[in-house]
Amino acid sequence: MIGPSGTCRNATVVPSEARPSTSVSPVRTGAVGGDPALRFDDVVRRYGKHVAVDHLSLQVARGETIALLGPNGAGKSTTISLLLGLLRPHGGTVEVLGTSPRQAVTDGRVGAMLQTGSGSGLPPGVRVANALQLVRRLYRRPASFELTVERAGIGDLLGRSTHRLSGGQAQRVRFAVAIAGDPELVFLDEPTAAMDVESRRSFWRMMRQFGEEGRTIVFATHHMHEADQIADRVVVINRGQVVANGPGATLKAAVAIRQLRFVTGYPDERVLDNLEGVTDVVVRGTGVALNSLDADATIRALVHSGIAFSDLEVAGAGLEDAFVALTGCDRAPDRGQTP
Amino acid sequence: MSGLTAFARFEVARLLGSWKFLAITVGFPVIFYMLFLRNESAGKIVDGAVPWRVYLMVSMCSFGALVAALNAGGSRLSTERASGWARQLRVTPIPAWSYVATKVAASMLVVLPVVVLVELVGMAFGGVHLSLISWFELTGLLWVTALPFAILGIFVGFMVNAETAYPVVTALMFVLGYFGGLFNPVSHMPHALQTAARVLPSFHQTSIGLALLDGKGLGIEDTLVLAAYAVVLGVAIVWKHRVEESRGLA
Repeated sequence: MIGPSGTCRNATVVPSEARPSTSVSPVRTGAVGGDPALRFDDVVRRYGKHVAVDHLSLQVARGETIALLGPNGAGKSTTISLLLGLLRPHGGTVEVLGTSPRQAVTDGRVGAMLQTGSGSGLPPGVRVANALQLVRRLYRRPASFELTVERAGIGDLLGRSTHRLSGGQAQRVRFAVAIAGDPELVFLDEPTAAMDVESRRSFWRMMRQFGEEGRTIVFATHHMHEADQIADRVVVINRGQVVANGPGATLKAAVAIRQLRFVTGYPDERVLDNLEGVTDVVVRGTGVALNSLDADATIRALVHSGIAFSDLEVAGAGLEDAFVALTGCDRAPDRGQTP
Repeated sequence: MSGLTAFARFEVARLLGSWKFLAITVGFPVIFYMLFLRNESAGKIVDGAVPWRVYLMVSMCSFGALVAALNAGGSRLSTERASGWARQLRVTPIPAWSYVATKVAASMLVVLPVVVLVELVGMAFGGVHLSLISWFELTGLLWVTALPFAILGIFVGFMVNAETAYPVVTALMFVLGYFGGLFNPVSHMPHALQTAARVLPSFHQTSIGLALLDGKGLGIEDTLVLAAYAVVLGVAIVWKHRVEESRGLA
């Protein structure tokens, strides 16, 4: 159960029968071009003593849109760096488009939008059009300039200098940079980090359209609803391991998280937290919301505890709550960068 | 290959498109040269058979090359590296080594017009008369020997952050300029400073150019010191790049 400290614990809190799969689930391998888009087999990557990716296995079929979902420090960015050949694994094998990650990048078959911290990820003091033209010329078979501009919706930014872009505008330009080479596979690491709600919506619309052309998209996020709505399949990562793997809806069903809401006179968080099946407690005044992996058991325990309650409601929880249960993280981080 | 050509052209266009960069690289050596020319010792003979005005033209070429190279790298480069652009280029098809190589090449390409410009000022206002072949030889020699400066500029951009790079570049410009004897001959300095100058690449670049005009050919010490700077700084950059690469930072 979630302690008052609200720290992340290991995912073992989730009963094994409630978890869909801890390893690779059967995916549509070889759906389009023989090899899967990427194969990540028992990969280990350490930073000193810290294990960032811990025997992680993952397979993605061509044409799939995959979300890597997890809290900060879960290993999402490290996984993407390994898939781009920016990092070498300390164990296991990484294969991208049937070849090594580095080869796939050199062949211009992969595009990426990396996390840049506070930087724009663009050459300083250059017009957006010039930066985009340069990137196109680095590829042997780029998409046309006009098509890339249209796909990324940056027509209004072409004459702008790269240091005069808002966070959201820079992200759109970086998306254009990522797809300028007309790649088969695109990695997007927290692509909507600096965007407001409206920009997010239009960004995902553009990305979906791009994905519908048969391209494979892997994006990292810690926004549950984004993962749930955008991806064909969600891979939940925590502590460098895959803790769940499946389409968002499947994940919800598998976890079978239910939310119990009721009103009680003097809610005691510790008591509520210790009720059977409870993974998360939110108390607001006299209103209580409990996330439970076993709603029936929790209601029985509530009755037995002698707590006087009224207005009980039971509802299916969203993916966000499923995520909380899976990763043992009290609150999904909404801001900040994954290292 | 066409990708690398496009990258190099992009880099040169960026440098030449920056008013700040142009003002500094063209302004400093030309203004200094014009100021120093008014010095009454302009006609005097210094360091062997070379008149002060010729000495000054060579040393100002050297200073121009130094200023251009340090500013082409330096804080521009560290700002760019901090922006994440360098890392973004790593996920495009151009090879990993090409980033550093293109930066050095672009610095070298902007050094050449600066050297030529100072020579034109020398020709027009400094009263320097050389045979056509000597002009070409001098230009080529000063250009090639500017390589350690180009590498130094990139080195600063790799080693320090943007805020630090600015004062570091300014300090290097004046330390290498003044103590390297570019503003007044080293032979006029106290003995200790004369010895110190011998470890500076700026001193040896001017010295190698003057030796050429003096008909002495290439000095071995000058050549060795300049080559050593190029190699040591180059190795340091490659090492830093490797370390960042192994951590997934570059």
